[in-house]
Amino acid sequence: MFDQPPAAARTNPERSFTDEVRSLRLGDGEIFRGEGVLAVTKALLQSGVAYVGGYQGAPMSHLVDVLVESQDLLDELGVHLETCTSEASAAALLGASINYPLRGCVTWKSIVGTNVAADALSNLASPGVVGGALIVVGEDYGEGASIIQERSHAFALKSSVWLMDPRPNLPTIVHCVEKGFELSEASNTPVMIELRIRACHVSGEFVAKNNVAPAISRNARLAEPIPQDYARISHPPSTYLQEKLKVDVRLPAAQRFIVEQGLNELLPGEREDLGIIVQGGIANVTLRGLDRLGLGDAFGAVKVPTLVLNVTYPLVPDQIADFCKGKRAVLVVEEGAPDYLEQEIGALLRKRDIGARLHGKDVLPMAGEYTAEVVTEGLLKFFAQTANDIDLSKPMQALETARAGRAEAQRLIGAPLPLRPPGFCTGCPERPVFSAIKLLEREVGKVHISADIGCHAFATLAPFNLGNTILGYGMSLAAAAGVAPVLQKRTISVMGDGGFWHNGLLSGVSSAMFNRGDRVLVVMQNGYTSATGAQFLPSSAGNRRDGENTSDIATTLRAMGVRWLRTIRTYNVSTMLATLREAVTTKEQGLKVIIADGECQLARQRRIRPQLAAALKRGERVIRTRYGIDDAVCTGDHSCIRLSGCPSLTIKPSPDPLRDDPIASVVNSCVGCGLCGEVADAAVLCPSFYKAEIVQNPSRWDRALTRVRTAVIGWLQGKESVAHAR
Amino acid sequence: MTSPDKPITILIAALGGDGGGVLCDWIVEAAHHAGLPAQATQIPGVAQRTGATTYYVEVLPVPHTRLGERAPVLALNPAMGEVDVLLASELVEAGRMIFNGWVTPDRTTLISSSHRVFAIGERMAMGDGRFDVGRLLRAVKERSKAQILFDMDQAAEEAGSVLNAVLLGAFAGCGRAPIPDQAFEAAIRGAGKSVDANLAGFAFGRAHARGELEQTVRAHQKRLTEARGVEDLIEQARQLFPVATHDIVEEGVRRLTGYQDRTYAALYLDRLDKVWSAEKDAGGDGALLRETARHLAVRMSFEDVIRVAQVKTGADRFARVRAEVRAKDGEPLVITEHFKPGIEEMCALLPPGLARRVLAWAERTGRLGKWYWSMHVRTTTVSGFFRLWLLSKLRWWRPRTWRYVEEQAQIERWLDAIRRAAPLGRELAREIAECARLVKGYGDTHKRGSDNFARIETAVIAPALAGAMAPSVAADAIASARVAALADPEGDSLAKTLVEIAHRTQEVPRAAE
Repeated sequence: MFDQPPAAARTNPERSFTDEVRSLRLGDGEIFRGEGVLAVTKALLQSGVAYVGGYQGAPMSHLVDVLVESQDLLDELGVHLETCTSEASAAALLGASINYPLRGCVTWKSIVGTNVAADALSNLASPGVVGGALIVVGEDYGEGASIIQERSHAFALKSSVWLMDPRPNLPTIVHCVEKGFELSEASNTPVMIELRIRACHVSGEFVAKNNVAPAISRNARLAEPIPQDYARISHPPSTYLQEKLKVDVRLPAAQRFIVEQGLNELLPGEREDLGIIVQGGIANVTLRGLDRLGLGDAFGAVKVPTLVLNVTYPLVPDQIADFCKGKRAVLVVEEGAPDYLEQEIGALLRKRDIGARLHGKDVLPMAGEYTAEVVTEGLLKFFAQTANDIDLSKPMQALETARAGRAEAQRLIGAPLPLRPPGFCTGCPERPVFSAIKLLEREVGKVHISADIGCHAFATLAPFNLGNTILGYGMSLAAAAGVAPVLQKRTISVMGDGGFWHNGLLSGVSSAMFNRGDRVLVVMQNGYTSATGAQFLPSSAGNRRDGENTSDIATTLRAMGVRWLRTIRTYNVSTMLATLREAVTTKEQGLKVIIADGECQLARQRRIRPQLAAALKRGERVIRTRYGIDDAVCTGDHSCIRLSGCPSLTIKPSPDPLRDDPIASVVNSCVGCGLCGEVADAAVLCPSFYKAEIVQNPSRWDRALTRVRTAVIGWLQGKESVAHAR
Repeated sequence: MTSPDKPITILIAALGGDGGGVLCDWIVEAAHHAGLPAQATQIPGVAQRTGATTYYVEVLPVPHTRLGERAPVLALNPAMGEVDVLLASELVEAGRMIFNGWVTPDRTTLISSSHRVFAIGERMAMGDGRFDVGRLLRAVKERSKAQILFDMDQAAEEAGSVLNAVLLGAFAGCGRAPIPDQAFEAAIRGAGKSVDANLAGFAFGRAHARGELEQTVRAHQKRLTEARGVEDLIEQARQLFPVATHDIVEEGVRRLTGYQDRTYAALYLDRLDKVWSAEKDAGGDGALLRETARHLAVRMSFEDVIRVAQVKTGADRFARVRAEVRAKDGEPLVITEHFKPGIEEMCALLPPGLARRVLAWAERTGRLGKWYWSMHVRTTTVSGFFRLWLLSKLRWWRPRTWRYVEEQAQIERWLDAIRRAAPLGRELAREIAECARLVKGYGDTHKRGSDNFARIETAVIAPALAGAMAPSVAADAIASARVAALADPEGDSLAKTLVEIAHRTQEVPRAAE
């Protein structure tokens, strides 16, 4: 009844966004309450957006996820939603706004998504747009980020895409989205809005407006496409003119709009001799820092004039110059490297011969997140160097006390605390593959593992520590191309089905086939892009509109010419091990692909839990399976944990009065995936493991059988205790 | 210090995927019900998959009605020295916040569950890798202004709620929350999930924080072996050995009686008596005897298939399993055991001569460590139970098996080393006794442990007993080798440590030249 369905039949788990969907329908004057990403989504609908697309990734996944669940609303408004298979296709979606007065928005995780989108972005930015084109990027930067630390700012600069960095409160974010469309249209340029992780998830409220149905839309189609305008094609000779248009026409238009609409905020202060210029996204931490120094209050009033840049590209030279004129010193608070804003402001001050001393990365660190501590220290240094009439002794003292306290705390605790890196969920279908790879390495020695983006990247951490490189999403096969020829043993590339469809198929498989690469590829087919919140894939239920499966991984690979292809149920560790062994050692040359098949356990649990609960309620016979460990048999070596790392497989004190080592223990969160037993079997570990099947709502037959068994077994056990007394 | 127009700051430390977001939502909703401005934010990302993560909430204790048009600028990051309340769902996560400087004695009320969820590094250690929380608990006391610390995991289980409901209750009851109880309860009701259970968890947390009730802590219990008919042996042991060793020796006698018979238990006492004589002669007080008694009982009850069958068919086992897997009364339970004996396990049951021939053949033909029989036995069925029960009845045959003979020889060699070491130095003897902890488990684990023991014996113990190494140096060397043997299953650390020890011992005479 609850067996694993084939990949094609795995449907999106029943995640519920009911409340979110409801708040998207709010009208004029109603109060919207929710988090940053959802506010952006609502702002799009209020702005008359005609199409939305994106590729999932923290911290932006929710934008498209919620819209997927809001199909009724989108149908009413005529908004087209495209669940793109990569950021490149999302960026290309904005091509609609090049020729048509359509407002469109796409979203993804940055910097990685922007990298993937870069080609289309350049080709979009060059001809420019007539309909407002918005790119909302989740800036995955600082604590909690999962990717390389780079700035999206660079893309804005090089492609002439405007960049907004709104203050992290809902009214400003919503305002920036609405004005972003207008800015885009006023300057015929796509606009990027970056939201940091905490801003995406910040809670808050704003006064909603009615949603606006776009004038041209799915519900109001054009009879004819527009006539060709060669100037709007990014192809020579148009591209030469477009480059000039960017700087001669679009840039000044944007700068005019920024000033006219007051997009940047000037917070006045009594200390006219000093000034602070700060990115909107880190305005809160800066304002609170000023409050801490006695130069502000909890409501954002400041004593030092502060220019909050909700638009960080382009800067408006006159605005910056006016702000800096007559000041002794100005501090630029700009997160991340390189210091684009500071350099530009520095050059501007020099050219206009404005004497204000410029501070920034000299008192603040060049790299890393601007946390409260970092910003406070930077402010202290700035004021210490520029204003000796401000008494900083108290905040200085407070910072030193706090730091001394931290050192004291660390001394008290002594040893470093155990790390708690992320890992595979309980019952994850990907874990057994890595158990098998570990067992394979026992036989053949270490293997070069090319890892990829996705949950399976957790295998690079304890207890598996498998993986030598990560080169980007879907890149693991391509990343082994140069390594494989110089190694005696074959390389193993691991890729998720998400990565496979995103980039792996073309960048990896076709290139490996083309070059006759003699490598092993493991594709984790769990049915969703699980790491980003279980979104659909071409190989899961196809798309959100119907239950039809679009594309099948094995069929696709065969069509590409892959001959050595095996699909293995992941939980079967022995078979997985044998298959890996064959793939690594077979004489057959060429690409060998193992499709490791097992449904994402989070999705599976979300799907079957309500079904089970309902069946139980109906009084149906339901078997609950979980694993356990005999605490009198386990001796506390923990080999099983080193081959698994399952959160449900933990340790507890030994009940044996003669042993101190803790023993392994399966806790009640076990979902009975069977890996424990499989690993104990494949690795010949120990006889401690047992499978327990608990029969809920037992039948009369179950009960009768149990009575007989209990009686006979009890009788035998009775003899046992007699034996003891001998 | 907080003044009325400054926000109350709340830092939440949690394990990803455990519902910290729900806790944030409850607090923000409760503040909303109370008419107070509040803001929460989080950094979910990959940490959502069981990693350590944090959430941050600020609540301004001034109602909107009194603020008018003014809106506070609430922070998205905590600031060191400015955290009013720390909420932690697990003890080491609370510790991490202290370690990172967020908890300060002038300001922070620390509210944390006292239970542990072990991190992967603690779980995967070959011996005991658990973080020692003793110093951490001291830091909790010294580094925070007030503490509310109890087992919220247990409280949640008893209330049927999620842990975060108890944590929310403790926050409500800690005296620092600017939000009335009804607002919290309204937030829980508003979320609409498991409302009654979560309200119960909330009520418990609040009452505990206010000191209105005590938690009955479930203590960890050691399980003593029951065996009757050996009272005379135990009495004999009491006469022979110092008081400090009685509990251990008694358990040893009972265990070995159940494991084999009273003759075997008597052999245990004989062996201990010899160790005690050696220790007494060396001026010992029984410390060596106690450690030896502990390890000897474990070694003598080595894990062969007969013992596994004994445990799996034991009278109290099914009740234990039922409790562990939380089977309700009246719910039938089917238990399937996972066995995979190899040639060695089979030979363990044969007489020594035959076993050695089979093993030699298996090794010669490359079958050793390759041939296994995978067996899934359902012990809750009559036939499955009967098979194991029969196996457990082979106890009488055990002394005639190859494994028994092998184990006894190794035990004797180990005891001999302890006895010979005692006059050289009691510390050395104790370290040798402690080495017994390396030998445990089944199959590869047992083999690895025995091999490691043998390597230490050859490299350190034998030279020390032969007088080639000073006893105190040897004792240190054994201790570090033992730690190294438990550092990694591949044996790299042990190899490195033994090389270092060899170097040091060779350097000593040269240094003296």
